[in-house]
Amino acid sequence: MSGRVAGSGTGSETNLTAVLYEKGDIRLEDRDVPKPADGEVQLAMQCVGICGSDVHYWQNGRIGDFVLRAPMVLGHEASGIVTALGKDVEHLSIGDRVAIEPGVPCRRCRFCKSGRYNLCPDMQFCATPPVNGSLARYYCHAADFCYKLPSHVTLEEGALLEPLSVGVHACKRAGVTVGSQVLVCGAGPIGMVCMLVAKAMGAATVCITDIAANRLEVAKQLGATSTLLVTSRDSTALAREVQDIIGDQPDITIECSGAESSIQLGIRATRSGGCLVLVGLGPSEVTLPVVDAATREVDIRGIFRYANCYPTALAMVASGAVDVKPLVTHRYTLEDTHTAFETTRTMAGGAIKVVINCTKK
Amino acid sequence: MTTVSEMNNCNLSAVLHSKQDLRIDETPIPEPNENEVQLAIGSVGICGSDLKYWMYGKCGRHVLVNPMVIGHEASGTVTKLGSGVKNMKLGDRVAIEPGVPCRLCRVCKEGRYNLCPDIKFCATPPVDGNLGRYYTHAADFCWKLPDHVSLDEGAMLEPLAVCVYGCQRGAVSVGSSVLVCGAGPVGIMTMLVAKTLGASEVCITDIDDNRLTFAKKLGASYTVKVTTDDCQQLASDIRNAMTSAPDVTLECSGSDQSLKTGILVTKSGGCVVLIGRGSLEVTIPIVNAATREVDIKGVFRYANCYPKALAMVASGQIDVKPLITHHFDLKESLKAFETASNRDSSAIKVMIHCNQ
Repeated sequence: MSGRVAGSGTGSETNLTAVLYEKGDIRLEDRDVPKPADGEVQLAMQCVGICGSDVHYWQNGRIGDFVLRAPMVLGHEASGIVTALGKDVEHLSIGDRVAIEPGVPCRRCRFCKSGRYNLCPDMQFCATPPVNGSLARYYCHAADFCYKLPSHVTLEEGALLEPLSVGVHACKRAGVTVGSQVLVCGAGPIGMVCMLVAKAMGAATVCITDIAANRLEVAKQLGATSTLLVTSRDSTALAREVQDIIGDQPDITIECSGAESSIQLGIRATRSGGCLVLVGLGPSEVTLPVVDAATREVDIRGIFRYANCYPTALAMVASGAVDVKPLVTHRYTLEDTHTAFETTRTMAGGAIKVVINCTKK
Repeated sequence: MTTVSEMNNCNLSAVLHSKQDLRIDETPIPEPNENEVQLAIGSVGICGSDLKYWMYGKCGRHVLVNPMVIGHEASGTVTKLGSGVKNMKLGDRVAIEPGVPCRLCRVCKEGRYNLCPDIKFCATPPVDGNLGRYYTHAADFCWKLPDHVSLDEGAMLEPLAVCVYGCQRGAVSVGSSVLVCGAGPVGIMTMLVAKTLGASEVCITDIDDNRLTFAKKLGASYTVKVTTDDCQQLASDIRNAMTSAPDVTLECSGSDQSLKTGILVTKSGGCVVLIGRGSLEVTIPIVNAATREVDIKGVFRYANCYPKALAMVASGQIDVKPLITHHFDLKESLKAFETASNRDSSAIKVMIHCNQ
């Protein structure tokens, strides 16, 4: 399904914004420049990456119980430059280059107080309906969820801290550590960041699977120790193949595709006492070999976004422990948002991460 | 009545020859190897897995191929010491932790010896159990009972260890809100352990009114009778019965519906622990579990839990005696198994006495 883009900018807009009106209908329109509330900063948006979930809302108008009921600004993987400070903002200055952690929780509930703010029931998350995202020229955000970038970290890298944080959260929940043998299922952008983070955390082995050989090629170049091209749904046979390739059963499997047969593989392949982390989301119900997981104490742990991972992700990028730059394969202007979304949707030209530049030319 | 000399000269044991063929046979009296002790068995409880071997000739992926002594929930008295045994003396009364791992492999070294691929576990084929007059066992897997803890209570430490381990895996602690699915012996003891660990409320479910009444009597905060196969409805009933949604669900019934309901009703960030065994493959609401970070953790027996279970009983924190409802002699083992498998007997834990 293609999307309509009503207007692609005349150059006179002050706050050109990419809005999803309803499924299949992305429009570029001019909106008011927002003013920062107390505790917020106003940002000139720089780089915004496109995520599979953005494409999903565009194509389907909903993800699970999150349903698009009114026009919503897209974009949540973003970086910007501070242009104005709201009241009580102390730690940022105008001109600061920041990465924007897109989810602002309520700060008052039990989840927020215990550090698991990703589970806050009143989370305001960019581009999850009904909350507007940041794919615009200007945007305001809670200042404490904006992280200042060191001068050697680019704005593009700043935008990539969002998917990288997913990788950090997944690897932490999985218990990846020095010497871990890790299986990553799925070599899309999320599988890639999980692999990069796992290696940075000291994993001895990261074997990555996919159904597409070209994605495995890229994964290999970016550091996967081994790869497995999946050509069947026989999870028991695939588990044996993984064991043959690695020379052992993995301690940890990080499932990034959401496919039922891949989750089954995650259970069968993982060694007893290990952990299967579910990052990918697919059908709401899946049939799993529960007794195998239970009697071998292979824990099944899902993740929902991340919490307290942005600083870690930033430190990894700033120190050079992780290089996310190769993940950006395509770049577009804000005016070309529609093409950017199409490229992401079709994965044309081997697209991994597509980034939109929001600055006015 | 067997005379003392008759008892001392033979080793009567309950041997499962094949499914539904349980016999009381004379078996050799075993001699203790290095680091082992010989025991005159005291009390042996019957477990659901023993019943499965008896009824079906198999339990899960373990199949009975050759005749095997049944029984693994046991206590006894030390009658001989193997060489190298320092921590025991003749006459010591002990609880017998039935699984002896290899001690050499990776999981043994990591402390998760329950997962040892070469573990020798009583009454899991082909390893003989301990429902007999005499038995030998690794001395370091025998736990000395204080004088005030009976042999019956010693035998109960086995299922109690399962419950302790389950609660640990679920991180039950002070202030936890807990759901226990199933009010059989494991569900009841899991409830008792959860309360001892400081759970502020424990709700227990079952399909059987009698079991729920018993659970209430032993201290369940709330009980919910399962009358529907609609998981959403059941989750709602449970939520309404409790003050807050559970942080931890301890599934002790083996029902697939219970697992699904547990996922739906557990708080975000919480955990469902699978102690009971259900169908090999189950369709579960995975996106619900994953996006609310409700972890699903199985348990396989226990590791390093016997001392804790013993401490809870010895200190009086947990009273397991009310769960022992029926008593039989070793020679009546078949009747004991029939009673344990018959719902109408209202048995909770059936105990067999081997020293009479």
